[in-house]
Amino acid sequence: MAFTLRAVKVPPNSASLEEARHRVFDFFKQACRSIPTVMEIYNLDDVVTPSQLRSTIAKEIRKNQNITNPKVIDMLLFKGMEELNNIVEHAKQRHHVIGQYVIGQEGLVHDLGSKDQGSSDFLKKFYTSNYF
Amino acid sequence: MAAPPRSLRLVSLRTPRFRVYAAKAETVNKVMEIVKQQLALGADAAAAVTPESKFTDLGADSLDTVEIVMALEEEFNITVEEDNAQNITTIQEAADLIDKLVA
Repeated sequence: MAFTLRAVKVPPNSASLEEARHRVFDFFKQACRSIPTVMEIYNLDDVVTPSQLRSTIAKEIRKNQNITNPKVIDMLLFKGMEELNNIVEHAKQRHHVIGQYVIGQEGLVHDLGSKDQGSSDFLKKFYTSNYF
Repeated sequence: MAAPPRSLRLVSLRTPRFRVYAAKAETVNKVMEIVKQQLALGADAAAAVTPESKFTDLGADSLDTVEIVMALEEEFNITVEEDNAQNITTIQEAADLIDKLVA
């Protein structure tokens, strides 16, 4: 019952790129509007702010921004809706949400602050990215 | 007396027209703050932001615009409808819409 509240509405494929764009924005708005619920379910008030979650969602959407095939966009939206459903109906747990959406790229390395003191500047830059 | 009713009618005709043009200054300022934060504008770009500047001129793509609208929804506790959201292109329009929805 609650599990299929959002997923049931699988609409027919988008006719054009423009319609797919609208669907992306609707999905983004739906995700942003469920952020307060998510923060309450998983007790994220001490860890992250709603605007940080919004930028994380936008970043995930932007990862695929260069795609032009409406069917691929529909598929990605379906996966996004599925993920949003899972999170909102508490099918995930707090560490899933924090690990996937709160921490980001450098998160875990930051905790090793004291161990890092010995390593050189070169190594620190090396750990963060290929290009420096 | 005939004079007071006529002047009252003139006054009530004037004030709605003035109210349409002005969104509250603090609303405009709040909107500008949110926009600057959302688009991560540096100090010199932030100084160039006026109420008339369009979001796209400040370097926002369409997803950024939607994100700014959502941030405004959260800040002012309003819900922006689909057709209203299409018309927001400048900071002034956003502030006007907010004042209309909050009032």
